[in-house]
Amino acid sequence: MKLWVALALAGCLALPLAAQSVRGRLEGRIPSAAIPAVDSLIQFAAQEGLPTEPLIQKALEGGAKHVAVSRIVAAVQLSLGQLRDARDLLVRAGDQPPVLPAELTTVAWARRRGLPAPVIERVVAALGRPPRAAALHAVADLVAHRFDPDSAAELIIVAVQQGVPRERLLDVSTAALQQVQRGLTRAEALAIVRRQLPNLPAPSKPTRGNVAGARRPAAPPP
Amino acid sequence: MIVIDPRIHQVLDGELGSDAVPAELRLTVARLAAAAQLLAVPLPGPLPSVETRVMAEIRRPAPSRARRLMRWFVTPRAIIFRVRPAWSLAFAVVAAALTLFTVGDQGPELAEHEGIAQFVGRFPEAQSVHVVGTFNDWRPGSIALEDQDHDGVWRATVVLPAGTYEYMFVVDGERWVPDHLAERLVADDFGRENSIVIVRPARR
Repeated sequence: MKLWVALALAGCLALPLAAQSVRGRLEGRIPSAAIPAVDSLIQFAAQEGLPTEPLIQKALEGGAKHVAVSRIVAAVQLSLGQLRDARDLLVRAGDQPPVLPAELTTVAWARRRGLPAPVIERVVAALGRPPRAAALHAVADLVAHRFDPDSAAELIIVAVQQGVPRERLLDVSTAALQQVQRGLTRAEALAIVRRQLPNLPAPSKPTRGNVAGARRPAAPPP
Repeated sequence: MIVIDPRIHQVLDGELGSDAVPAELRLTVARLAAAAQLLAVPLPGPLPSVETRVMAEIRRPAPSRARRLMRWFVTPRAIIFRVRPAWSLAFAVVAAALTLFTVGDQGPELAEHEGIAQFVGRFPEAQSVHVVGTFNDWRPGSIALEDQDHDGVWRATVVLPAGTYEYMFVVDGERWVPDHLAERLVADDFGRENSIVIVRPARR
């Protein structure tokens, strides 16, 4: 009982602190007229257990691109709707609430990239949590290159079932794209890659020269 | 020093008969006579001369190349270093400088969850190009691309945490341009398209 009270108190304290921190990130980066509306949308998301970072990023993007206030608010509202849809989709596919924020972000993002909801549900229902995000990215890549969504999802699910690790699922879609570049039809490309599974072409690794010239982004000013 | 009785010498030299010496000396005389007889026996054959032995060595068939090589490897050899302190010091300084230079060129140490993202764009007339996106809170100016050989191709290589990011190029501080080389694009909900980069962990 005491634990529940402590958790409730911590939650009550954490939400206003988080709100302050969000306002701090938005101030000076988006028009001040947009802040109250954006802030309230972000609070809604937090209360519903949805990730707030995509909404903050959308608002910051609008501010950086000097978009009108109304369009910034509309875009943040749209992002909130996408996250809610993603949550409903995951629950429909069999996930127990509360759904992980990272999962929600990935599913919302896959929807934005044009993956049909039934295909996402199929991937989510077929795979465990760890490879899901990578699997959705791989399917989205294939669909973006005009592969049939159902066949693309089938290939990636089979790849996971045949032991292709999640960090190599993008190599599956890359292998299919390479077959298309060699002149095969998309259906033939998927069939060939499927036959070769779990073998895949070696992934490209950053060269020593690339790593040598790499730098980290400058830290934002306080 | 052992002193031998002169009478024993005389007996051995044949100047005296063995009966002429006292009985206690006779045993010694007998032993010495036996030893002299042993020494007088000739060796079984003549010793080969030096010439014979040298010629035998010359006529012996030469060992195979492999055997000679093996012998060369297993034979201990002395190696002599002659060191001039001034040159050694200069060599050490050059080696240290080269090592420092090489270490400094290896770039940042990547954590397990970090990867490399490369941004490349062709903007021949541009004075400056930056990349902005969800990895830097869409903050213009934090990651500049460089055109070191002035061929109009601008590049930046950035260390980022593994993940999926949306981004655009900002040319001359005001023109927002998607990355035309990016394979992935997504609507930005503001009427344009963002490019997408998926950063995979470098240590896989």
